Amino acid sequence: MNDPINVLTLFLFNIVLVNIPLLYGTTGEIVVEKAGSLNLGVEGTMAVGAIFGYLAGCMTNSLLVGLAVSFLAAGLCGLLFALLTVSLQANQNVTGLTITTFGLGLYFFVGKGIGERWPAMTGASALVNGFAPKELPLLSKIPLLGKVFFSQNLLVYLGVGIAALIWWYLSYTKTGLRLRAVGENPGAADSVGVNILLYKYIHLVAGSGIMGLGGFYMALYMSGSFEGSNCWINGYGWIAIALVIFANWNPLMAIGGTLIFGFFNTLQIYSGPLAGAFPGVLGWLNAVPAQLFKALPFLITAIVLVASSVRKREGSGQPAALGLNYFREER
Amino acid sequence: MKSQQPLFHVIKREDSRPAQQLLAYVAAVVLALAVGAVLLAVQGVEPLTFYRQMITMGIPGSRYPWRAVENFIKLFVPLLIVSLALSLAFKMRFWNIGGEGQFIMGAFWAGVAGMLLGESLPQPVMVLAMALCGALGGGVYGVFVAALKVKWGTNETLLTLMLNYVALYFLQYFAETKAGWNFFLDPQSARPKFAKFPDNAQMITIPIGPFNLNLSLIVALVLCALIFGYLNYTKRGYEIAVVGDSPNTARYAGMKVGKIVIRTIFLSAALIGMAGALHVSSAGVMSASPTNDVGWTGIVVAWLAKLNTLGILLASVLITVLQFGCQTASSSYPSIDANFANLLQGVILFLVLAADFFTRFKLVLRSRKEAAR
Repeated sequence: MNDPINVLTLFLFNIVLVNIPLLYGTTGEIVVEKAGSLNLGVEGTMAVGAIFGYLAGCMTNSLLVGLAVSFLAAGLCGLLFALLTVSLQANQNVTGLTITTFGLGLYFFVGKGIGERWPAMTGASALVNGFAPKELPLLSKIPLLGKVFFSQNLLVYLGVGIAALIWWYLSYTKTGLRLRAVGENPGAADSVGVNILLYKYIHLVAGSGIMGLGGFYMALYMSGSFEGSNCWINGYGWIAIALVIFANWNPLMAIGGTLIFGFFNTLQIYSGPLAGAFPGVLGWLNAVPAQLFKALPFLITAIVLVASSVRKREGSGQPAALGLNYFREER
Repeated sequence: MKSQQPLFHVIKREDSRPAQQLLAYVAAVVLALAVGAVLLAVQGVEPLTFYRQMITMGIPGSRYPWRAVENFIKLFVPLLIVSLALSLAFKMRFWNIGGEGQFIMGAFWAGVAGMLLGESLPQPVMVLAMALCGALGGGVYGVFVAALKVKWGTNETLLTLMLNYVALYFLQYFAETKAGWNFFLDPQSARPKFAKFPDNAQMITIPIGPFNLNLSLIVALVLCALIFGYLNYTKRGYEIAVVGDSPNTARYAGMKVGKIVIRTIFLSAALIGMAGALHVSSAGVMSASPTNDVGWTGIVVAWLAKLNTLGILLASVLITVLQFGCQTASSSYPSIDANFANLLQGVILFLVLAADFFTRFKLVLRSRKEAAR
C-alpha cells in the first residue's frame, strides 16, 4: 500500500477519476460561450442534471436512461436560459446566477422531499457496473499510463470523446464555424443568412445538456448518497467557468486543463500520502496549506485573464460578442 | 406575392410605464408563491400554513420575539448594504459579481483590527475602526479590477468571479490553521476555532426595553438615504448615470470615464467591505464563510429593484423575509429546508426577467405594421 509507485499511480489515477466532471462542465460551457452567451449557471445546471439523471437511472436501472435524463433535465435549464436571454433579452449574468440559485434550490428540494425513500446506488446494478473501471484492451497494459488513463470507467472515455468531438465540430464543420461567427459577430452572421435564434437555442440547450452529464458523473462518483448540507457538484461548476478561460475556449485544451486543475484539486487530498511516499523529494508538500491548492485554479485563471487582456493577443479564443445580447433592430 | 416578413416585430419601448411594471412585479411574486404552493403540496406540506409561518417568521407565539427581530436585522443589514453598493457598479454596466470576495475581505480586515486592537480602544472608536478597515480591505480588493478594466479592458465579470474564491480560501486558511501567530483562533481550543471578538469590538446595540437595536441597522438606513442623494442630486451621481448610459457620450462631454469608473467601483467595493465588517462585528465572532451568499443575493435584489435605491430597500426586505422566513418555517418540516427560499427566489426572478421584456419592448404584429406604412 505504501509502495511509492502505488501511491503515485493512485494519485494520477484519481486526478482523472475525480475531475472528469470538470471536463463535461467546461466542454458544455465552451459550446454555450462560442454561441456568444455567458451562462454563469453551470453549477445549478449540473446539480439539476445530477439529481434527475441519478433518480431516473436508479428507477429504470439503466445507465443510458440516467445519461439521457441528466442531459435533458440540464438541457431544460439551458432552454430556460435561452428563452430569457435570447428571446426575452434578459441580462445574461443575472439570468445565469439565477439558474444556479434555482438549480441548487431544486436539487435540495427534491432530495429533501424524497427523504427516507432515497434510492441507494447499490440497488441499481447498471449504474454500479457503468461506473466500474473498464480496462481498454492493449492500452491498459502500458505501465503507469495504462492504469491512469485506460483503466477508467465508461463515463471518463465518454467525456474525453465528447470534448474531442466538440473540438472537431467547432474547428472543421460548417455549422461549427457558423456558430463561432454567431459568437464573434452576430450582426454579420445574421446578414449572411445564419439563423441566429436557432443557432443560439440549439447550442445553449446542448451545451447545458453536456454540463448535466458531468452532474450525472458526479452523482455516481458520490455513490448517489444525498446529503442535506452539501451539493454533489461542490463548486465544480464554478471551476469549469474558470477552466473555459484557462483552456482558451478550446475543448482539446480543456482536456489538458482538466488534468492541470485536477492535479491541484487532487493534490490537496494526496499531499500527505505523496509526502510520505517520497519524503526526500516531496516532503515539502506537507507544509503547503490545503487552501492554497483549492485557490490555485481560480488564482491561475485570474492571472491568465489579466495577462491575456494585457497582451491583447490575436490567438485569444474569447468570442468577441461574449455576454452581449443580440437585438436585431440595433444591428 | 408571399410575404417575407415575420409574424411580428420586436420594438423597443420609448415610454416607461411604472404602474404596469409594479403590477408585473406583484404578479411575479404571487405566481412564484403559487408555484411554490404546488411544490409544497406535492411534498405533503400544507402550503398556507407554511407561508403563514414564513411571513410571520416565528415571531408571534415565540417566547423571545425580540430575538427573532434581532436575527432578522442581522440578515437584512448586509443584504441591504451590498445590494445598494452593487447597484452603483451595475448602473455603470460594471458587472461586479465579486461581492462575495469583497465582503470576505472586508470581514477579514475588520477581524484583524478587532482582534489586535479590540482590547485597547473604546467601543465606539473600535467599531468605527473596524468599519473603516473593512471598507478599505473590500475597496482595494475591488478597485484593482476596475483599474485593470480601465487600463486593459480585462473582463470584470470573470475576474471578480475568480477573486471570490481566492478570498474565500484565503480566509479559510486563517480559519483552519492552528499556529502561534494566528491571532484569530481561540488559544484554549485544541481544534482550530475562531475566538470571540473582545467586548469593545462587538457591534454597539441600543437597548429599547427587551430589544437590542443593532446600530448597523441605522447605519444601513442612513447609507440608503445618502446613496439616494448621491445618485440623484450630486454631480458624481449624474456622471455615473451618463457613463452607464453611454461611455462615448460621457467622453464627448469631457468626463474622465476611467476615473469615474475607478472611483465608483472603489466606493461600491468599499461599501461591500464595510458590510462585511459590520456583519462580523454584529456576529461577535469571525466565520470561515461569513457571507451567507449575500454577494449573490445582492445581485438578485439589485436587479429586482431595477437598480432603484428605494426599490432596493423594498426588495431586500422581501428577500430577507423569504430567506429568514423559510429558515424558521422549514424547521418544523423534515422534508423542507431553508433552500426552499432559493427555489422561490429563482422562480420570482425568472418571472420578473420575463416580465421585464414586456416593459422594455413591445410586439407589433405584421399586419398592423404594414398598415401603418
